[in-house]
Amino acid sequence: MAPLISRRLLSLIFVIFSITFLTFIVGSLAPGDPILVMMGPRRDPAIYENLRHQYGLDLPWWQQYFNYVGGLLHGDLGMSYRYQGRSVNEILGGGVGVSISLGFAALAVSLLIGIPLGILAALRQNSWFDRTSMITMLALFSIPTFVMIPILRAFNYYVLYKNGLPSLPPAGWGTPAHWVLPVIVLAAVSMGYMARLTRSSMLETLRQDYIRTANAKGLPQRRVVGVHALRNALLPIVTVIGPAMAFLVTGSFVVESLFAIPGVGFIGVQAISQRDYPVIQGTTVVLAVAVVVMNLVTDILYTVLDPRIKSEG
Amino acid sequence: MSWKKMIPLFVLVLVAVVAAGCAAPAPTGQSAAQPAAAEATAPAGVQKLIWSVEGVNELPGLDPANPQNAQSIQAINLIFGGLVKLDDQLNVVPDGAEKWEVSEDGKTYTFTIREGLKFADGAPVTANDFAASINRALQPETASYGASFQLGHIVGANDVAAGNAKEASGIVVVDDRTLAITLDDNVPYFLAQLTYPVSFAVPLQAVEKDPTGWTEKAFGTGPFQVKEWQHNQKLILEPNPNYWAGAPSIAEVELPFFQDSETAYQLYRTGGLDIMGSQQNPVPAAHVAEVKDSPDFKTVASFATRYIGFNNKLAPFDNPQVRRAFALAVDKATLADKVLSGAVTPTDRIVPAGFPGSQLPVKGLAFDAAAAKQELAAAGYGADNPFPQVTFTYGAEGDNERVATFLQQQWKENLGVDVVLQPLELATFSKNLDTTYLTPEAGLQFYLSIWGADYPDAQNFVSQQLRSDSPNNNGHFENADFDKLAMEADTFIGSAEDRLKLYNEAEQIAVDQVGWLPLYSPSFNVLIRPEVSGVVATGQGLVFPDWSQVTSRAAQ
Repeated sequence: MAPLISRRLLSLIFVIFSITFLTFIVGSLAPGDPILVMMGPRRDPAIYENLRHQYGLDLPWWQQYFNYVGGLLHGDLGMSYRYQGRSVNEILGGGVGVSISLGFAALAVSLLIGIPLGILAALRQNSWFDRTSMITMLALFSIPTFVMIPILRAFNYYVLYKNGLPSLPPAGWGTPAHWVLPVIVLAAVSMGYMARLTRSSMLETLRQDYIRTANAKGLPQRRVVGVHALRNALLPIVTVIGPAMAFLVTGSFVVESLFAIPGVGFIGVQAISQRDYPVIQGTTVVLAVAVVVMNLVTDILYTVLDPRIKSEG
Repeated sequence: MSWKKMIPLFVLVLVAVVAAGCAAPAPTGQSAAQPAAAEATAPAGVQKLIWSVEGVNELPGLDPANPQNAQSIQAINLIFGGLVKLDDQLNVVPDGAEKWEVSEDGKTYTFTIREGLKFADGAPVTANDFAASINRALQPETASYGASFQLGHIVGANDVAAGNAKEASGIVVVDDRTLAITLDDNVPYFLAQLTYPVSFAVPLQAVEKDPTGWTEKAFGTGPFQVKEWQHNQKLILEPNPNYWAGAPSIAEVELPFFQDSETAYQLYRTGGLDIMGSQQNPVPAAHVAEVKDSPDFKTVASFATRYIGFNNKLAPFDNPQVRRAFALAVDKATLADKVLSGAVTPTDRIVPAGFPGSQLPVKGLAFDAAAAKQELAAAGYGADNPFPQVTFTYGAEGDNERVATFLQQQWKENLGVDVVLQPLELATFSKNLDTTYLTPEAGLQFYLSIWGADYPDAQNFVSQQLRSDSPNNNGHFENADFDKLAMEADTFIGSAEDRLKLYNEAEQIAVDQVGWLPLYSPSFNVLIRPEVSGVVATGQGLVFPDWSQVTSRAAQ
């Protein structure tokens, strides 16, 4: 496994540098001067020049890039253009914990509901339960986030709040109740996907010869499904956890913005609209690291579930 | 299976998911967000006010020397104070200075600092604190975008801004309680300018100790001080125990940030906010119909004018007759009532309704399609000399798209002119406006823009926008009579009424010559919970005249 990890770590460095370079080039080619955005329509030309100098924007682009990479090697993501005297590390620092915990909660919910639902549906193939649950899962998978949020909020307001039932805060962050709606929305897509994938993978596995053998041996159904079938049926699920995390990351941009949750996605969206390039670059680097690390974790899990893969590593 | 039968099932699944969601969250992220603690600390019977800050997910800063947007100013005005402030009638009234005298030539203001004035930390505030705060705002190291603009009339201010001096020679500390400020001219709107945060008193000792981090616990001479700034989330304020007018009765003011007003609205209607809506980000138009009969809903025309600006240096809009034709061809009543569902007040003038100077009437260019055609013909355009195709530019935000489309159709129908629409992303739009100012020949032809008041003085609209030497006159409107009247009013010595008459005459010229084509004033729609008292909605925003009388709901 060691060569696998070291190879991945090497590729991580490559990925991060490509990403910083691309965001940097796009940023410097894009129209709109960040200092102009900062200062607004009225300004003093002298202060404008002064600020450009402070942020090193008067240097040639390659020099700016090398300065940036130099800082990156020291773990310094630079200073925000938008927030006076605040570093990107500090701005993103608070957001990373929020996004990670929200992402894992959503992943946990989608796995804890999606997998059992898929297994049950497979065991009762073509039953009433199978059809309705799979249609629901298909709906969850297909409804765009920005449609689901107003539906949930309307439900929360008209059905719960208006009738004096305990309702949920429709936005914000802080108490455990604030987690519920965003976790549902974030989990919905991957839950739908997981459930459907588990079902088909389980059906596939249940048709295998060794399951027939296990049944013929007279093993209890619980053991046949829970041990022999499940372990093999889960392999494809593990494969999609990586992409599912990527889904959660992209989903977080919308979900965090609409729920006013101070995570990385929320900070990133704001930075884009304000041309706060250092924060945009910082967000991209952090997310890229997250995706690469998740893929690495997936690969390791894979070898645990299927020992044959280890030898190929 | 029909959809109707599916609904209960869907609800069931939802409930299951809600239940699971409640149970699932791992507490790992809690430390980063550190939430509940602050909310739980307020003891029973204590009042708390939750007032949303909309349009941003974070405040760019709390340093009054550099108020970067309206949202920052909302918070700065709660924490800091200056020499003077505005009351709910928008008169300039004493704040840190208990009185002042103006010399006969109108150039020297002598302020008497309030006896016993203290910063929130208990340190006394002297004339020197105000002088040093103003000088600091002007210094180039502070990199304030607005200071030299707002305080530029103080003698020596420009030397400080240019880095040639540390202190403006026009600011003189006579003794601990006396501050004299000398201006380069008679500037009748100077006191109004002092209500803008750049001249507010800052605790310089705290600033020196931590030049970049002091605003994390910002305090000044205002009614509140920062208790905790949860970045990207909210600002929590507590009363300033040393506030000169008596500590506020509200134990805690919470200012949560919402990028999207829709989110704030959702929270308001489920009881999560006490006040929502601001001038820049009013209650979303889509929800106005739902709330307009509720006692919570308040609306006033805001002190802002949305207008069309013309590039006066480029044909065809260098011709006033063409500009008049375009102005006469717009049916603003339909625009306001039908296109914008009555959320705005149409206007034919530059100064917004209720603003100083608006009490004197101006004869506007009312909608008249026939007269519009005549003006265009008089400008020499007709069958043998067709009007060229022109491009109308606007920032792609809010209602602009709908407004621009309506205008395009009006000019086509009423003038037979083809207008190409050019929506631009906001930052690019401001860059283009800038180009229009700096190099008019390469600039925009005509554009949709808006101006909101900085301080309640007619100068802020009339002269600052349209005087030929003003840096805000992006379209280079130039009219000798207008300039003469506006300049006279800007440095007028005499009664306020006579001064406003001069602005009124100037405004009439600007309307006739179409320096701007005014369209409407947006409504300032705000929701205020009935439990909240002591707040007044003005065209300039919400004003709390006396914090000791403000009530809100009991904190939980």
